[in-house]
This record gives sequence, structure tokens and C-alpha cells, in this order.
Amino acid sequence: MIKARTDWTGLFFAAALTVVIVFPLLIVGTWAFTNVWRYPSVIPQEFGLKYWAATTARADVWTSITMSLSLASVVTLLSAVICLPAAFAFARLEFPGRNILFFSFLAGQAFPKFGLLVAIAGIFLNLNLIGTFWGVILIQLVGTLLFMIWIPVAAFQSVDRRMEEAARDVGASPLRVFWSITMPQAGPTIAAAVLLNFVGTFYETEGAWLIGAPGIRTLPVLMISFINNQPVIQYGAVLSVLLWLPSFIALLFARRIIGSGSFARGFGG
Amino acid sequence: MIIWPILSAIGRTLWLPGADGVSRFSLETYVFFFSDQYSINNLMVTLWTTGVCALLLLPICLPIALYLRFAKGRLAAYVQGLAIFPMFVPSIILSYAIIRVLGPNGTVDLLFNSVGLPKIRSPYLTPWGPVIGLVWDNIPLTVLILLSGLGAVSDQSVEAARDVGARRWAVLWHIILPRITNSILVAISFTVLGIFSAFTLPYVLGPAAPEMMGPFMQRTFRDLNDPTNAITQAVISFAFCIVFGLFYVRSVAKNRKT
Repeated sequence: MIKARTDWTGLFFAAALTVVIVFPLLIVGTWAFTNVWRYPSVIPQEFGLKYWAATTARADVWTSITMSLSLASVVTLLSAVICLPAAFAFARLEFPGRNILFFSFLAGQAFPKFGLLVAIAGIFLNLNLIGTFWGVILIQLVGTLLFMIWIPVAAFQSVDRRMEEAARDVGASPLRVFWSITMPQAGPTIAAAVLLNFVGTFYETEGAWLIGAPGIRTLPVLMISFINNQPVIQYGAVLSVLLWLPSFIALLFARRIIGSGSFARGFGG
Repeated sequence: MIIWPILSAIGRTLWLPGADGVSRFSLETYVFFFSDQYSINNLMVTLWTTGVCALLLLPICLPIALYLRFAKGRLAAYVQGLAIFPMFVPSIILSYAIIRVLGPNGTVDLLFNSVGLPKIRSPYLTPWGPVIGLVWDNIPLTVLILLSGLGAVSDQSVEAARDVGARRWAVLWHIILPRITNSILVAISFTVLGIFSAFTLPYVLGPAAPEMMGPFMQRTFRDLNDPTNAITQAVISFAFCIVFGLFYVRSVAKNRKT
């Protein structure tokens, strides 16, 4: 009888990663449902939902949630309108300047992002966009461009061209082919890219703070001020759990594009 | 949208508006940066953090990627899931979690205390705080890039080497490493670019002085209301990253053609 060899390396990695990655998040989760937890008790003295009521009763929490959601929606919508046709063009058409355009998108990745944001902020200062809603929209849009072009380009490229041609041969109009053949194949990946984009924008902190402060306050920016100035630990914990929800949804939907190799290849791996 | 801000940034820091409204060529903001001890300290801390993170990430991520490349089954799927998981944790939540766990009177202190050990010297608000956070945050991408590189190493070549009696380390050194050098370099470039301008984690976890370039630029821009010097700092960080950036662009372009 052959006994399966125990995968010690695997067990080691699984255990180590669980401690390093899951444990800190569990602690935050525990804090969110804690009423009293004083040093040096190992477990909280009193569990409860007291601070959920307290956090959700704060006006600044609600305004920043609304602000974050509306920013993320507008940015995602704009970015989809700009990027998806561009991605289709990149995937299918040969046009002059194609490579130059492509490299200018790539170049955005090749510079440290925060430096780029500061450089853009310098321009916005002259345009009086600092502290305005549309200033934040514009700066967050820059961050999404590459992502929203790259993954859809890969999606459009992976569509089986022979099926499209076959459909054309039996007399389908180009629009019809696009809706019935191209979209069903590329659609799921593009939908995942749009979703990831929305979530990414929701969490974008640097641009929102650099351009938006003090008028525009998104949820992550509020969270920073909670960490720095708020003596009540539970506010931050509750906010973390709230903040993490969209990410969790993204996690469920985005597995397909991240698990597949194309995502890492997109980053040049 | 990307090239223009950079050119404009370089222009605005070299041609300063003169007293009579006519702009003049001047290097004074750069001279100021490199003669100001505080600025230099910040730059050094950033370089140090970037270097330490890159050095830590490779030994952590390469074994994970190697394991994932050759292992199959549910345990491997679990390890992969965990390794990618930090991608779905926004850095702001991560900073909060690190403060709660490693901060003063955090969970580690609680656990140590309950078994009678002394408190740890918390990395929170020291240069090690951002290092821990940034390494944590960069694990998924590094693992994914390395894994994608390891995909190019064929099973046959490894087995062939094993058959002629090569030991594990020999296989790693002679067969696997030469084929993934490019991926390793891409992973490093990506990490360097990401860390050099990291903002949230160093801002929340790091010391107030010296600070990393990210928070430094932000503070110069907003709190000191001095965009020209902030942009100078940005241009200087571009200059330090340009080698990695070019390498990254080149390998992506190469990847795309093949």
C-alpha cells in the first residue's frame, strides 16, 4: 500500500501564511464586535454591537460613504466609456501611432505613481481643480486607464475570430456579430475588469487626498483621520469591516481573471 | 495625460517665474533639495525601505512560487488563495490591522504578556513599520509574476535534470533560476516602483521624521503649500526610478511581441 507523502512544505506555507495574512484581519474583525477590550486580557471582556450603532450614527461616515460611492461610479463609467472602445481598437485595428499610444499608457506604469500624482496636482493647481469633485475624478481616472485598457485588450484578443467571420458569412451585421459573438466571449472578463476598477477607485487614497482635501473626503481618507486622531479604537475597526465589503464582493467575482495567467502577464511577468 | 505632466513638472521646476513675471532658467530647487539635510535623509530612508523590501520579498515569494509551480491539490490551492489575498485588502485596512496587532498593547503584546514574556519593541512609527506593511502588500504581485515566469520552465527539463542525478539545489540553480531571471527582475522593478512612491502605509505606519518620499511630497504640497518643491521631489523620484521603469516597459513590450 502506498501512503500519500505528507506535504510538509505545503503545510508550512499554509500555516505561515495563515498566521501572517489572515490573523491580523481577524483581529480587526474581532475589534469591530467588541464593546470592551482592555489590556492585558487576551480575549475581549465584552462582545457586542455597541460601536456599530455609534459608527453608523456619525454624519461624517455617511457623507464620506456617499462621496466614495459617487466618485467610484463616475470614474468607472467615464473610464469604461473612454477605455473600452480604445481597447477594442487596440485589439483589432492597425492604425498609425498605435504603438506610440500603447507605450504612453505603459509609461504611466513605469513612473512612481505618487510622483506622477504630484506632477498632475501641480497642473491642477493652475487650473483651480484642487479641492473639487471633478479634480478628484480626473486624477482617479488616470489611475484606471491602464487597467481598463489592458485587461479588455486581452479579452478582445482571445475571442475566436473564426466564429465572428462565420457569423459574417451567414449574413450577420457587424453590430449583430459584436453583440452575439464578441461580447459573450469577452464580456465576463470585461465585467470583472470594470468591477475591479470600481473597487480600486473606491479604495484609492493618494489622489483623493492630494487633490480633494479638505473639501472632498472619501471613506479611506476618513479612515486615515480615524487612525491618527481617534482614541476610540472600535470606530476604525467597524469602518474597516464596512470598507472591506466591496473588496470581498470583488474577490468573489474577480477570481477568474486573477487566477488565469493573463493578469500577471499583463504586468510583464 | 502621462507624458505631459512629467514634462510639465520638469519644466516648471527648471524655469521658475522671476520677479518681473518673466520665467528664468534655474536649478535652485534641485540645489535646495540636495543641500537640505532633511530632504536627503528622506531620500535615504526611501532608498533604504525600497532596498530592504525588495531583499525581503524575494526570499519570501520565491519559495512560495516554486512550491505553487510544482505542487497540486487542495493545500496548494489554499496557499495560492492566501498568497493572493492581500491584493483584496486595501492598504488602509492593512495599516489599521498592523497597528492593532504589532502596535503598543497590540495582540502580540497581549499574547506575550499572557505567557510571561516582555512586550515587543513595536515597529509602529519606526522605519520597520512601513517595511512590514509594504512587504505584506506586495506579496501577491511578486508571487504572481514569479509564478508566471516559472510557467515557462517545463516539467521535462526539471525531470531530465533529476534523472541524471541533479539535486534540488542544482536544479534550482542551473535549470530554474536562469529561466526566470527576467521575471525576477520584473518583479523587483515593480516592487521598486511601487514602494518608492508608496504613500498610505508609510504615512500611517512610518515615523514622522525622516519620512519617505510619498508622505514628504504630500506634506510639501499640501501642508507647506509649496508645489514647486513638491514637484522637484517628484522629479527626483522619477530620476531614481527611471532605470527600473525602462526595464519594465522593455520587458512588457518584449512579452507582447512574442
